[in-house]
Amino acid sequence: MEVRFVLNRTEVVLNVRPDEYLAETLRNQGVLSVHIGCNESNCGTCTVLINGKPSMSCSVLTAQVYGKTVTTVEDIQEEANKIADYFSDEGADQCGFCLVGFALVVHALALEYPNPTDEEIKNYLVGNLCRCSGYHAQMEAVKKYLAEVKKHAKK
Amino acid sequence: MRAKNFYRATSLDDAYRKLSENPKNAIIAGGLWMKKLGQSYDTLIDLSDLGLNKIEESENSIKVGSMVTLRNFETSPLIKEICGGLASTAAGEIMGVNFRNLATIGGSVFGRYPFSDVITSLLALDVTLEFFPEQKMSLEEYLNYRGKIQGILVALYIKKDAGTYFYKKVKATALDFPLVNIAITLRNNKHYIVVGSRPMIASLAHQAMKEADAGEDASKVAKTAIGEYSFADSVAIGKDYRKEISEVYIRRGLKEVSK
Repeated sequence: MEVRFVLNRTEVVLNVRPDEYLAETLRNQGVLSVHIGCNESNCGTCTVLINGKPSMSCSVLTAQVYGKTVTTVEDIQEEANKIADYFSDEGADQCGFCLVGFALVVHALALEYPNPTDEEIKNYLVGNLCRCSGYHAQMEAVKKYLAEVKKHAKK
Repeated sequence: MRAKNFYRATSLDDAYRKLSENPKNAIIAGGLWMKKLGQSYDTLIDLSDLGLNKIEESENSIKVGSMVTLRNFETSPLIKEICGGLASTAAGEIMGVNFRNLATIGGSVFGRYPFSDVITSLLALDVTLEFFPEQKMSLEEYLNYRGKIQGILVALYIKKDAGTYFYKKVKATALDFPLVNIAITLRNNKHYIVVGSRPMIASLAHQAMKEADAGEDASKVAKTAIGEYSFADSVAIGKDYRKEISEVYIRRGLKEVSK
């Protein structure tokens, strides 16, 4: 079936199976930043933004994103690099497999919550699992990144 | 999950016609649990174009379209105002935002899932369901309804009651299914006690609620409530433990809502 949506600011018209999940479609399109982890709606590694909202691409059919906008990490490269640097500085980034999903969720968090509490950060990130590190370093990295975003917003 | 076709309905009539065409056709809603179940369908019917993703206020109730996502439900100021925000709190504890941005309130209720946190919290409020073709029933009636409703869940009407609430989702990890969940409300001087995921579907403890309304001691009411419920073992937890923790949380909850 034919599905039309906006992928990273470019309209795409794709032929997909009716039961094809978005993660598979994106990877077939060469968007290999989308990692499939658990493939069971659990780990958050496959997160993309659908109409700006973090969503598990392993769990939404491509047909369901008809007419919507899909954003992967390629479209927020500059922000993603900054987030990756903060993760790296805090030792929160080891194998890096989960980082793409984290970057998109952290980016969305920064847009949705200008001044998040620790509780709000945890609640926003709880659906993204990392099996290398503990979460303390990630929390520190996220807080430092958000502080930078706030500083730039003030300028 | 396997599906041969995907159909974007243009109206509720259109969706219902398609649904009635073949017993292997189904409404997809968010589709999260369908993925887990891994069943095969002929045609998946999508309601995204029917404007069912709105939360609207009327004089006595809040109307929640069945395609409203759990995340939009949880963050809605209108939902947060109902009975201290019970339904918002309960929805906000389900998985992560990247899950809740996909899962819908309609899918969560229509499926009558025994592990549902949404149902446990809503049952402690005054909720009416609207189906197409035209049919309305309370959430409790729907949960007790035998067989499958041959209709499409269109909206939930949640009464704008003020009040206090207690909610506890007992879970092993942050992303886990509830081992048991308890919702208690005190609205219009009446108590509502709900225990779900026992691992059976949530239900109200009517006798215990009467005792609580009559001013009985929380310990006695909790014992009565436990007596009204059946509990069972599951892989994660035994029935005796479920029973014990439920009683403790009901007791604490009753004290909490009366503060």
